[in-house]
Formats: sequence, structure tokens, C-alpha cells
Amino acid sequence: MDRWCGSSVNHGEVLTCSLTSLGLDSESILKKKLLLLTMAIKKRTPKLLEETLPEDEIEDLDMEASESDPETDSESESEGDEDVRLTEPSKTSIYNKDGILDKLGDISWPEDVEWIHKLSLDINQEQEVDVNDDLNRELAFYTQALEGTRQAFVKFQTMGLPFLRPSDYYAEMVKTDSHMEKIKGRLLVEKRRIEEAEERRKARDNKKKAKEVQAQKQKERVKQKKDEIESVKKWRKQRQQSGFAGGEKEGGDMGLPFADGKESQRSSTKNKRPGVSPWDRSGGKAKAGAGKDRKGGAGKRKSREFKDSKYGFGGKKGMKKQNTAETTNDFKGFNKSDSFQNKKRKK
Amino acid sequence: MGKKRKHSEVEVPAAKKEETAPERPKRTLLGWKDKPENQQDSTTFTGFRNKEKVLVTCSRRINYRYRHLMLNLVSILPHCKKDNKVESKATKGATLNELVELKSCSSCLFFECRKHKDLYLWMSKCPNGPSVKFLVNAVHTMEELKLTGNHLKGSRPLLTFSSNFDKDPHWKLLKEMIIQIFGTPKEHRKSKPYHDHVFVFSIVDDHIWFRNYQISCPHTGADKIDRGGLEKMTLIEVGPRFCLNPIKIFGGSFGGPTLYENPFYVSPNQIRSLEKRQKAGKYAKKVKAKTRRKMHEMSNPLETDEFADMWKE
Repeated sequence: MDRWCGSSVNHGEVLTCSLTSLGLDSESILKKKLLLLTMAIKKRTPKLLEETLPEDEIEDLDMEASESDPETDSESESEGDEDVRLTEPSKTSIYNKDGILDKLGDISWPEDVEWIHKLSLDINQEQEVDVNDDLNRELAFYTQALEGTRQAFVKFQTMGLPFLRPSDYYAEMVKTDSHMEKIKGRLLVEKRRIEEAEERRKARDNKKKAKEVQAQKQKERVKQKKDEIESVKKWRKQRQQSGFAGGEKEGGDMGLPFADGKESQRSSTKNKRPGVSPWDRSGGKAKAGAGKDRKGGAGKRKSREFKDSKYGFGGKKGMKKQNTAETTNDFKGFNKSDSFQNKKRKK
Repeated sequence: MGKKRKHSEVEVPAAKKEETAPERPKRTLLGWKDKPENQQDSTTFTGFRNKEKVLVTCSRRINYRYRHLMLNLVSILPHCKKDNKVESKATKGATLNELVELKSCSSCLFFECRKHKDLYLWMSKCPNGPSVKFLVNAVHTMEELKLTGNHLKGSRPLLTFSSNFDKDPHWKLLKEMIIQIFGTPKEHRKSKPYHDHVFVFSIVDDHIWFRNYQISCPHTGADKIDRGGLEKMTLIEVGPRFCLNPIKIFGGSFGGPTLYENPFYVSPNQIRSLEKRQKAGKYAKKVKAKTRRKMHEMSNPLETDEFADMWKE
């Protein structure tokens, strides 16, 4: 944090120990200075001022000072420009109350001066403000100003004076436009920085979440696989126990999801599609898609489509040309007339 | 008209010196009377008119930061006159008094910078006192970018004081001086209408803290706040910021009998010297400890080890 604070209270201790060491170094020179500051010093040091102490005692004190040294050093460095104050008021200070009041009477304006000349307001502070608490202190100042302004504005309003700047009243301002531009730029930069940081944080969070989800999925998959394997094992065991007697029946009864459900489903789906060779991975879709594309242009004959699906058009060629049980049983492509015609053509 | 006045200003100090000369005593008297002596004016006239003028100067070799602070104050006090730097000597009081009279001002703010570090502010009512010497710290100028407010140059500020200004006579005196010096006179030539900023003078920890806020309040007309506008009113800080630690109050301007002395005040020089002394003591202590250790070892020698040459044979 930056240091707004210009003063601090708890420096008495610093002062006292620093003074003890000070007094030891050259008391004769600093006697006068010290007399001013004696209030802050412990009982021992005034004695020190009166007469020189024997050697060993000085050494003792020295040790004491050196013990407390590190912390005082750090403190004084951290609050370098802040002021120290005495813990107790010095008794030699002058306070001529009558003189002050006389002077006050001399310079003060007459009692009956209208408020509009002074524009001063007294605001009661609710509680004591701690100087070292920057936030609270500034808040106290702010509330004082706000309260004062409210009171003043009410007064102005009752007096019927124009006191608020109309929005179309332009005049020289305290800060120049270029300076305000700078301030604005800084604010914008700050805003952008915050936004960027926010975005980065969000991205990081998302990533984390995605990772978690991924891990969850992986886990589930592994679990499913495990379950399936387990169930197979179980089934096998059961079959073994029953000694394969009526195994088929039991297998059917167990109703394993993959035994009759999935597997059969898979095979059935394969079989269901007519005109799709078993190795055609696109499941005949490639051809259909191709057909669709063509349709828009010229339109495709049915026989062509069929031939495409049979002999292949697009897709992997090697496997889909092989015969399967289905195709061997399919006599659709043969008819008498065909052979006849072919022969005819040959002629 | 203006020229004529200037003429009289120049004549004043000369006239003061030749006070005994019998040539034209009436005129000198007139010159004296012409000075804006507020309390005299007010007693003679029924209508009060504030003719305060503040001279703002600084000492030579002032720090840039403190100079900026001074310039900021100049910009927020339309009734002030800025003058050249003044050599900060022992006799500066006399020169300053002369200068203030020359400029026909009634009060003075003098920024005295010592050692490029410490800023002292003299606040003085001029012809015959009182004057106050402050130590200024926690300075932030208006140029600092984190203060985002802005207000009209020359609009009259509202002055708010914390209630503990009425606690002690010296605070009362300071309050009166601040009202006179920092308040812009009504209908001043350079002042602008409307009130869009507020000064805060608050005593915390026996220091006077200064803040300057812009008032932003929703309104349509110039003389009426919208309904609920008082609640919606916000303040934006404009700057500068500083904190005044009163050191002494003198009876005269830049001198005279001391009326008040801050019993808690320690000068920054003293603090620095203490710190230095602390740091300087470190090495000496080390050396001392070493010698003492040596002495101790010499005085109490170790007993001779009876088994020392056991394995040698």
C-alpha cells in the first residue's frame, strides 16, 4: 500500500531506545537536546545526563540497546518519512492561551457576518479516527465532506441562490483536458487489465472443469468395461458350474445385454441394410450422399444407384467387392433374358 | 485606474520608512488605511466585504514535488498572488513582510523547503500577525493520476471543519486563519459562480489533514437539487492532499512572541540524526563486544587438558 499516512503514534518506544544509545555516545554535546526530550526517556537516562557512569554499566546499557536494535531499524526504514512524536508533552513548551484568544479577537471577522461570506461548516466526527488506518481515515474525511456539502446545499436552496453548475456552463477547470485525458487513459488501462485477468482466470477454470469431466468420463468408461468383463466371467462360471448342460438355453435366459441384445442388434443392423456390402464402412451412405448430390443436377437412375451400391462407387473398394452369404444368395442380377441378350450382343 | 493603484502600492514601503518625514503625513495615513484590514473595515462599514488577498511564495531550492503542491494551491485559490522564490535566510521574515505589503496582500502562505526534504508552511496574517509554522507531510499533488475529480477553476469552495477545531484556543485561531486564507472572497474578481468543490480540514492525531473533493450531484436547474439528489450526491477527490503539523504560533507576522508551541513536536532533523546514530553505533558495538570477549578469554584461561598428550607417546 502507498503511505498516505504522515504520522504515527507508536514511536515512543523507538525514540526511547534510540535515545538511550544516543545519550551514551556523546552526552555532553547533546545535553541540551536531550533535556527537551527527557519526557520520553525512562528513569535511568536522566541520571545518565547528570554524571558519567562507570564503564561496565555503560556496556550493559549498550547490550540492551543492541538487543532492541533490529526491530527498531526495520521500523524506522519502513516508515522513513513519517514523523515521530514524543510520548509525553514537553513541559517547557509555551502555551499562551490569553494571547491566542486576543489574536483571535483581532483577526476574526465580526460576529454578524453572513454565512455566505465564510462558507464554513462544522461537522461532528462520530468517533476518534485511527491515523494509521488509511481506509477508515479517508472514509472519515469523505463523510465529513459529504455531510458538510449536504448541509451547505440545503442552506443554498433555502436562500434561493444558484449553486449548481448547469451542464452547459463551460469554463476553465483546475485540471487541464490533457491531464484528464491521461487520467482517463490510466483508468481504461486498469479496467482492461482487470478484464484480461478475469478472462484468464475464467479460461483456467474452464480448463480445470473440462479436465475433471474428461477424467470422470474416462472413469465411467473403464468401469463399464470392467463390469462387462465381470459379467462375462460370471456367465462363464455359471455355465461351467452347470456343466454346459442346457447351456444354450441358460445363455438365452440370462439375458446378458451383449449376448443376445447387443450382438444380435449389431448383426441385425448389419443385415437390415439392403444393398450394403459388409465392408462398406459408410454403410451405403457414401453412395446415397453421392446420389443426392447428383440428383440436384441431372437425376440418377435407380438401376445406376443399385449398381453403384453393388459394385461400389466411392469408398474402399477392396473388401466390398467380395461376396458374402447375402450376395451369393441374391439372384437379383441374373435373368434369362440378360444372358440371352448378351449372347445376342456378342453376335 | 489600475495604474494608479499600482503607483500607490509602490509608494507604501517608501512611505513607511519616511514616516517621520513631515512632508505628507496625510497621504501615508490614507495609504495605511487603504490596506485591507478586515476587522477595521467591518466595524466602520455596515456591509461586510472580504478583501482577503494571499501571497503565495516559496523558498529557493524547493523540491519539485513541493513546488507542484504550491502551484496546486495557487490554482485552487483564485484570490492569491504568486511571487518569486525568496531566499530562506534568518531575515526572511522582514523581507517577506515587506513583500506582502508591496503586493498589497493581507496574508501569506510561504513554503519553506529545507534540505530538499522537509517542507515547512508558514501561514501568516500580514500586517500584524499572527503567524503559524507548520511541518507539512504526506504530500500528494493534484498531478497524481489516481485522483480523478475535477472542478471549476475559481469556484468558491465550501470549507468543512471537524468539530475538534473548537476544542482548544490554538485550534480556534487556526480555524479562523484557515477560513480567511482558504475561503475565496465572495464576488471576487477571479472567482466563478456555483459551488462544485469542498475542502476538508480535519484534526486527526493533532495534525490538520487537508482534502479537496469535487461535488457531483444530479440536478436539472442551477438552484434546485432533484428529489433525492442529496442522497445520490457523491464526492470525487481532486487533490492535493497534505497534512499540517503545527509547530509554533507567533504573535506577529513571521515573528514576534511565541503564543503556542507544539509540545509533541520533534523536528525531522532530530529524527534523522537519531536514526543515523543508531546505525552508526552498530559497528562500534561489534568491536567492543569482540574486545570484551578477548579480555574475558584472557582473564579466565582454560584449564590445561591433562589428557592432551596421551596419544602422542
